[in-house]
Amino acid sequence: MNIGTRKILDRSFTAVGIGSIIVMALALMVVVVPIVSNGIGAIFFTGTVEHRKMLHAEFNRGERQNLASEVASSERYRTKVYEMLSAFDAELETMEPEKKAQYDSKYSQVKTALHALLGPLPGDMVPMLTRFKYGQTRWEKAEEKLHELLYESKWDNSNPDIMGKEYFVSRAVAFEGTSLAALFPYVKNNIEKMLLPEFTVYWGFITDSSVDSHFFGGIWPEIQGTFFLAMGAMLFAFPLGVIAAIYFTEYAKPGFLNSMLRSANSTLAGVPSIVFGMFGLAFFINTLRVSESKSVIAGSLTLAIMILPTIIRAAEEAILAVPKTYREASLSLGSTKWNTIATVILPAALPGILTGGVISLGRAAGETAPIIFTAAVSVGSAIGLADVFSSPTPALSWNIYNLASEHEAAAQIRHVQYGMVLALVTIVLLLNLSAIVLRARISKKLKG
Amino acid sequence: MAGERVKESNRSNAFVVSARKRAMQKLAKIAGESILFSVAAFVAVIVLFIFFFVARDAVPFFQIRGFSEFFTSSNWYPADEPGEFGALAIIYGSLMVTLGSAMIAVPMGVAAAICLSDILPFSVRQYAKPVIEMLAAIPSVAFGFFALVVLAPLMQNSGGPMLMWAWWILVSPFLLLAVIVGSDLLTSSIKEEKRRQKSYVLLLILFSLIAVVLLFKVGSVLNGIQILTGTNALNVSIILSFMALPTIVSVSEDALQAVGRDIREGSYALGATRAETIIKTILPAASSGILAAVILGIMRALGETMVVWMASGNSSHIPEPWFNYLEAIRTLTATIAGDMGEADQVTGSARFHVLFAMGLLLLIISFISNFVSERIVVRQRKTLSGQ
Repeated sequence: MNIGTRKILDRSFTAVGIGSIIVMALALMVVVVPIVSNGIGAIFFTGTVEHRKMLHAEFNRGERQNLASEVASSERYRTKVYEMLSAFDAELETMEPEKKAQYDSKYSQVKTALHALLGPLPGDMVPMLTRFKYGQTRWEKAEEKLHELLYESKWDNSNPDIMGKEYFVSRAVAFEGTSLAALFPYVKNNIEKMLLPEFTVYWGFITDSSVDSHFFGGIWPEIQGTFFLAMGAMLFAFPLGVIAAIYFTEYAKPGFLNSMLRSANSTLAGVPSIVFGMFGLAFFINTLRVSESKSVIAGSLTLAIMILPTIIRAAEEAILAVPKTYREASLSLGSTKWNTIATVILPAALPGILTGGVISLGRAAGETAPIIFTAAVSVGSAIGLADVFSSPTPALSWNIYNLASEHEAAAQIRHVQYGMVLALVTIVLLLNLSAIVLRARISKKLKG
Repeated sequence: MAGERVKESNRSNAFVVSARKRAMQKLAKIAGESILFSVAAFVAVIVLFIFFFVARDAVPFFQIRGFSEFFTSSNWYPADEPGEFGALAIIYGSLMVTLGSAMIAVPMGVAAAICLSDILPFSVRQYAKPVIEMLAAIPSVAFGFFALVVLAPLMQNSGGPMLMWAWWILVSPFLLLAVIVGSDLLTSSIKEEKRRQKSYVLLLILFSLIAVVLLFKVGSVLNGIQILTGTNALNVSIILSFMALPTIVSVSEDALQAVGRDIREGSYALGATRAETIIKTILPAASSGILAAVILGIMRALGETMVVWMASGNSSHIPEPWFNYLEAIRTLTATIAGDMGEADQVTGSARFHVLFAMGLLLLIISFISNFVSERIVVRQRKTLSGQ
């Protein structure tokens, strides 16, 4: 090969390496950016008067007088809509039966869309579910619903070779010549006055419990559940892990037994997370019966054995990183081995051990598979500390899955899902970031 | 240890300690050490327990249904009466996404590891490592959510153009390189300088033409593809490869670092370029360590639950044709996660135990691959230190 080609190969080799690191960074960005940008929307958004009504009714928040005047001003514009509806009702009565039948189904669609947009119409029964008690609480959703009100969605399946295409037909055209035709331009022009959108900061998303399976309200039960589960796991795994690491680094003698124990550790680290879940179900719940069925304690124990190998490894590395001179100095002063470990080595290794602990805490908080069968429920309120031995809990990781895949109206509460993912990712990344910073400090300190 | 013994005997001479107290001290020491040992052994006990309890609930399935149906049939109707429990399609789905993610993650991961250990200066490396750690830290359910809510609709709506752009961006640099290197290699045997250059240029033009035609032909074919469902094996493979990358990068970087400086310097001294040094000397020396990294990374993809559960489509059939990554599939982990909720109600039935059989299968695979990768790492350490 001539030298030019060799140089090109060399450079392109470098480019491939750097390129793959850039791709990894991009992958991180591509995943994190939509989560962050959409997740923030759960707290900062343009809320409508319906949001403030809901807050007042469900959480008793907001000023009564302000709200009353807002509701009054929005009602002023809404009454006209309701008048048009009743006028059309009257018109329908006078129509011939065939013509009436023709309008009936379309009219009920309009009513449904209006209900979704503005909340229950006068004369409707009080809805059972909270989700039907209010109109759109978020402005961007209200705009979607407005579009649904103005246009009927139809599917064009004329060409069988390609997938059907959606197209929209104006509803106003369908009601041409009736008294309802005026409703559509009126709603379109006055929607802002009917819903009074204004910029809202809803910190309650973090601290409120959910209302009507996450249609309204916040994610506090999930955050608390995640906290309980992760802390419980640490409570079990951290002391055990540190003690095991002390044994491995200070007391274990090389030999068959020791290598067996080490292989056991790495085997445990490689077990798929779902298998931990099965084990938790079969062992903690069905055999040991730590609780009747799913409970926080069973989930914590399962998570604990999952993070144990990570903690052991991190603690071992931290202990091994303590300079030999510390140990020798302590021993030469006549201190016993255990005394040296407790007073010299462990304090010196503590930051490193904590780093491993913090990373494991993040892992325990983020894992889903082990808690599916052992601790997680999809709906529920925040549980008290006394209930951890008997009751299951909602948790961020599980509820993200549940809301995104199994919720009956998953597409309507995307903002809640994004908010939850953002909360979880923030918790985990903050923990990891603090671990990274902590470790950088240690390495600086050890370098002197 | 010897020093300690000397010290102890000195102490017993210096301070008068009653025999009883010394015995007590010794007892306390033994007791303390045995407590430490029992905690350390706790891990091994857990591993045994996991095997035992998963196997205990898996064995009844094979007693009821035998082995052959599970491994050879792809009829998965556990809820029927009587149920059918053919897991072939599910096992195949697991292998498919694992292989797919490995095809993306292994080249990228190894390239990134090489870059981190041999190419980038220390100052840049400091910033690259946290990126990898962050990628490893993001919870799997967040990846799954991304796959389901962002990537799947994107694939469904504009899958063809996405595939085309991916093909162009990924393949064109490599094709260009192949054209240059290929024409150089083919002409290198020609002795006469002028003729060599002439034929080199001719070949270059010829090959580039072929490459351009190939790029556009395949690109337009890809552009025409309509992806019927966004929740498919390709989607899952891409996301799983993100998740396997950090493991592959960090373990293979360790393996590359373990190859000493002397080997690198020897190669440079013989006039090799950096790429040649890495490919011809460092990679062979670190190959077993990299293999271990690949095994660990693959295991991460095989054992992952949430992403495949949310974004693989969960349809238990072998795709048509068998390598069609654009179809929905179902994996072992997702089946366990998804079916346990219902099967739990009928504890003792084949429907419940079949899930444990799947768990046992996963457990055995992970145990074997872990064992193999550990052996490999130990052996590499021995050979490298032996040199």
